[in-house]
Amino acid sequence: MDTIIQILIFLFLIGFCGLACGRTLEKRHYRYIEQRERQNQGKFLVTQLKSFPALRPGGKAPKVMMSEVVIGSDYLKTWFSQWRNLFGGEMKSFRTLQDRAKREALLRMSEQAQSEGYNALGNVRFSGADVGGNTSGRKNKLHFAAIIATATAYDANVS
Amino acid sequence: MIITNTETIAGHEIVQVLGIVQGNTVRAKHAGRDIAAGLKNLVGGELRGYTELLTESRREAVERMMAQAQQLGANAVVNIRFTTSAVTAGAAEMYAYGTAVVAQPDGVAG
Repeated sequence: MDTIIQILIFLFLIGFCGLACGRTLEKRHYRYIEQRERQNQGKFLVTQLKSFPALRPGGKAPKVMMSEVVIGSDYLKTWFSQWRNLFGGEMKSFRTLQDRAKREALLRMSEQAQSEGYNALGNVRFSGADVGGNTSGRKNKLHFAAIIATATAYDANVS
Repeated sequence: MIITNTETIAGHEIVQVLGIVQGNTVRAKHAGRDIAAGLKNLVGGELRGYTELLTESRREAVERMMAQAQQLGANAVVNIRFTTSAVTAGAAEMYAYGTAVVAQPDGVAG
């Protein structure tokens, strides 16, 4: 009886939490990201050049922009990754997780910069963050991508 | 105060370098948020509690850094960087550091 309940819980976690919720949330997030990226295309310039070449004379002074994003894994992704860990190879389910976190962080900075009247970002940097002491031997590890992004916003000549 | 993560400020000239300034903080969310994050980890999606935690920590660290820069008499901080490290379970340390400088707009005789 106990085993049956355990199997049912496992199937619920894989099926409902992973397949139904996780996949849908990820697809929805990707659509949202792509839609916002299209809006910025051609209007908003993002570079990681250290010194920005095309500053508008007499424009606003540059300002630092920062954003942070924590995207959680779902049960299915975590389960896949554990299998992948046995055999080795690319963890595809975590690659999309990191990808979403970084693109979301970049978009949040772009939006913040636009709302303050800037039209370009230079010197974009990403770094990973350790929230919740996850790397220091916690028992029930959470799986997520935590990203801190910084950039400098410019009032530039963007044609 | 102008803050950038580049070594120079575009359109400005750095007239004096005052040295490194720093700010840090260790923050945690209450246990409820940790449990909520654990549940969210089953279905996936953004862990808002932890995003908030990082935002709050970053703000506090930058404010402390700026206060230090102001004390030195700087009007800008350049080349700022962030690092985080694990202190204990459920908490995040955010450390912000940069170089305090005195800058003036290009073309102003100094």
